Amino acid sequence: VITFIVRRLIITVFLLLVVSLITFAIFFLVPRLAGQTSYELASQYVGRNPAPAAVHAIEQKLGFDRPLIVQYGRFVKGIVMGAHYDSGPDRTYCPPPCFGYSFRNQQPVWPMLMSNVPVTASLAFGAAVIWLVAGTAIGVVSALKRGTVFDRAAMGVALAGVSLPIFFTGLIALQLFSYRWPIFPNLHYVSFTANPLAWASNLVLPWITLAFLYAALYARLTRAGMLETMGEDYIRTARAKGLPERTVIVKHGLRAALTPIVTIFGMDLGLLLGGAVLTEFTFSLHGLGLFTILAIQNNDLPEILGVVMLTAFFVVIANLIVDVLYAVVDPRVRA
Amino acid sequence: MNRSKKYKLMAIIGSAAVGLSVCGAATEATTASTTATYNAAISGVVRPSNATGGTIVFNNSSVPDSTDPGNTYYANMWNVIRLYGRALVTYKSVPGSGGNQIVPDLATSLGQVSDNGLTWTYHLKPNIKYEDGSTVRSQDVKYAIERSYAKDVLPNGPGYYALLLADPSYPGPYKDKAPDKLGLTSVDTPDSTTIVFHLVKPFADFNYVVALPQTVPVPPAKDTGANYQLHPISTGPYKFQSYQLDKQFTLVKNPNWNATSDPNRKQLADKFVFNLNVNADTIDNNLIHNFADVDQAGTGVQAAARAQILSNPSLRNNADNALSGFLWFTYINSKVKPLDNVHCRRAVEYAADKVAYQTAYGGPVAGGQIASTVLTPNIVGYKKFDLYGATTQPHGNLAKARDELAACGQPNGFSTTMAFRSDRPKEMATATAQQEALSRVGIKATLQGYPTGKYFTNFAGVPNYVHQHNLGLAVGGWAPDWPDGYGMLYYLTAGPAIQAAGNTNVGELNDPVVNNLFTKAVATTDPAARNQIWSQIDRQVMSDAVIMPGVYAKSLLYRNPNLTNVFVQSYYAMYNYSTLGRG
Repeated sequence: VITFIVRRLIITVFLLLVVSLITFAIFFLVPRLAGQTSYELASQYVGRNPAPAAVHAIEQKLGFDRPLIVQYGRFVKGIVMGAHYDSGPDRTYCPPPCFGYSFRNQQPVWPMLMSNVPVTASLAFGAAVIWLVAGTAIGVVSALKRGTVFDRAAMGVALAGVSLPIFFTGLIALQLFSYRWPIFPNLHYVSFTANPLAWASNLVLPWITLAFLYAALYARLTRAGMLETMGEDYIRTARAKGLPERTVIVKHGLRAALTPIVTIFGMDLGLLLGGAVLTEFTFSLHGLGLFTILAIQNNDLPEILGVVMLTAFFVVIANLIVDVLYAVVDPRVRA
Repeated sequence: MNRSKKYKLMAIIGSAAVGLSVCGAATEATTASTTATYNAAISGVVRPSNATGGTIVFNNSSVPDSTDPGNTYYANMWNVIRLYGRALVTYKSVPGSGGNQIVPDLATSLGQVSDNGLTWTYHLKPNIKYEDGSTVRSQDVKYAIERSYAKDVLPNGPGYYALLLADPSYPGPYKDKAPDKLGLTSVDTPDSTTIVFHLVKPFADFNYVVALPQTVPVPPAKDTGANYQLHPISTGPYKFQSYQLDKQFTLVKNPNWNATSDPNRKQLADKFVFNLNVNADTIDNNLIHNFADVDQAGTGVQAAARAQILSNPSLRNNADNALSGFLWFTYINSKVKPLDNVHCRRAVEYAADKVAYQTAYGGPVAGGQIASTVLTPNIVGYKKFDLYGATTQPHGNLAKARDELAACGQPNGFSTTMAFRSDRPKEMATATAQQEALSRVGIKATLQGYPTGKYFTNFAGVPNYVHQHNLGLAVGGWAPDWPDGYGMLYYLTAGPAIQAAGNTNVGELNDPVVNNLFTKAVATTDPAARNQIWSQIDRQVMSDAVIMPGVYAKSLLYRNPNLTNVFVQSYYAMYNYSTLGRG
């Protein structure tokens, strides 16, 4: 197992390097190939009606006047060794992993990214627990009560959950439970360490809204998986052996049905940790999703690059954990 | 009497007048009581009170470009900065047109002009302190101005000093070789309470320039460059308590604020909290449900809240439909054929459908009032006139348009291209509506959208590109940096303002009459005489027909009924933040 993990970690580093190269090329090389000059790029970050000297100063400071390969080299070097940035009277040190210097905020990107992670992590993990428990439970019960009113109602709601966008369900939830009946009034993020109760009460609505979408998907997947598994010969054998029904369902049926769910869960959670954009936007939660929107609105390439790298890291790590779990459960994967 | 003495005498008279007006400001702001009704805060102070305590919560759907007074170009931040920064001069805190009047702030009077308009002198009031109790020096004001040259570190703010002062190549204090970092030779500080500016040419609007927050003093020892935004050192009634970038900043009372020297601000609430990056619809709901007090952006509520407010009498009583300071218009290029003929341009003016223009921007409440001039009604120097019947025949005067086309030698109309910012739905709607309106007289406009970020740098603001691509018309908008004719008109219509890229005189007007009037205006120190000239320029520009005014933009502002001393400050075109209380 250890060899497997080490091997995957090496691949992970290589993968992140490739992601960084592709992302860098998309944001820096492609515009240049399309005719954008470094002066034009710099002029976006000098305020209104800039004098040419001011544009050149920014061009020089942000390194746009250097060859792209040098800029990429500086970027990678910063991740490994950190970097210094000229912020006026002092030089700001950005310790590794330094993901560059925000054009917009004139601040190192990494600390800004990190300040947003707790919000997104709180949102993603809380919602994940709800959708995993609720989604699989509803899926199992629906499968076992196939064709009943419960099954049809549950799958109908699941279909709605998958179909309705978060900016719709979120706004409805806010309108009902924050403004009309202020059960969760004036929502804003409170850190877990400051006040765990306030942390949870301010996140209940975003959790439920986000989980509603995913739970619906997971319920349908679980139901399909369970229906398939419960028809297998070994389930009949288990029942024939006289095992209690609960053991047959949970130990033999659900365990097998959960395998694809775990795979998707790893991917979903990894992506969400990179920013639940719509949920954060709807509920004004200052996580990586809102950070990403601001970065895109302001064309702040280092910030965008940082978010992409961090998201890629979360997805790769989540998949690594899923693969390790596979390897633990199923020895054939280690080959 | 030589000219120098004449200027000094005028300055003394001006100072005396200012002294009187300051007393008047304090009285007016506290006695002009108005009950909470629709539009009440435009002409009066709603709920005047000196009650203290409480927290005022601002919501902002975006984030500031910077909280550093030397590094911001957002009107709402200039309004916020008055809570923690005092410039040499500022805008009088009163409702109505008086809110465009400049009054002394750190300075004892408005600038004293000498040397044929080339030298401007300001004296600081005594005992103005920073939040740490140290005394503000004129050298700190000079240092703050020097920072505006350091565009590599502080890129966002206006760049007027580099244009106006006689030392344009100064590199900024961070590259200044002088030991005290005060090497800008065009600004003198003969003593710690006097600051003297040396201009390259007369500029009568200089008081407006020093009213921008770039003269808020910065103690050099406390300057942290790009990081100064995290805690600018206060001279106002409030100081920074905390700042989480892109999320929230909070201000608390500054115990060292000199209240007696400052009639334009109040220190009533205990705290100001600014929540950033809040969903725009959530802000409206927060305002209506009393979870927030002010929308920091000051650009009005969204469509859903607008309908709710206007249909509910009690909510409507807490709303103000104020002019936003913007003019939305269409440039008509004077170099692209056949629009190089003034009659063809006038045909466009006559054929335009102003009602459609207004509708495209959201109607009379959310969009604005049909415009007939380039100067907006809340600008100093504005005089109403209507050369093309925009207000009397708002759907267009097609007969006159055809007459002008005939005079232009294009009786059957002509073809041109209309540029607009494709990521701005209102501009797209405007372009579409005008395309239809112009087609009624045979003017065929092909629509061409461009991204906002490159509109002026690469397309509509690049004359060569405009000529090559036949961009005869271009949708645009403008709000001035200061509320007079220069701020509104110069960069839109002056010949010397035409640039090879980033050009905002997209009509490429280079009319000697207009240019001479600008030259005359900036050398005219008498405000009344200067204001007459702005109106003359406006009329000449409209006669030249290089701008087709669309609407004087308006927005629906909502004031939380718990706020006190609420009024719309004409200059900022939003509520004045420096006098607010909660009680």
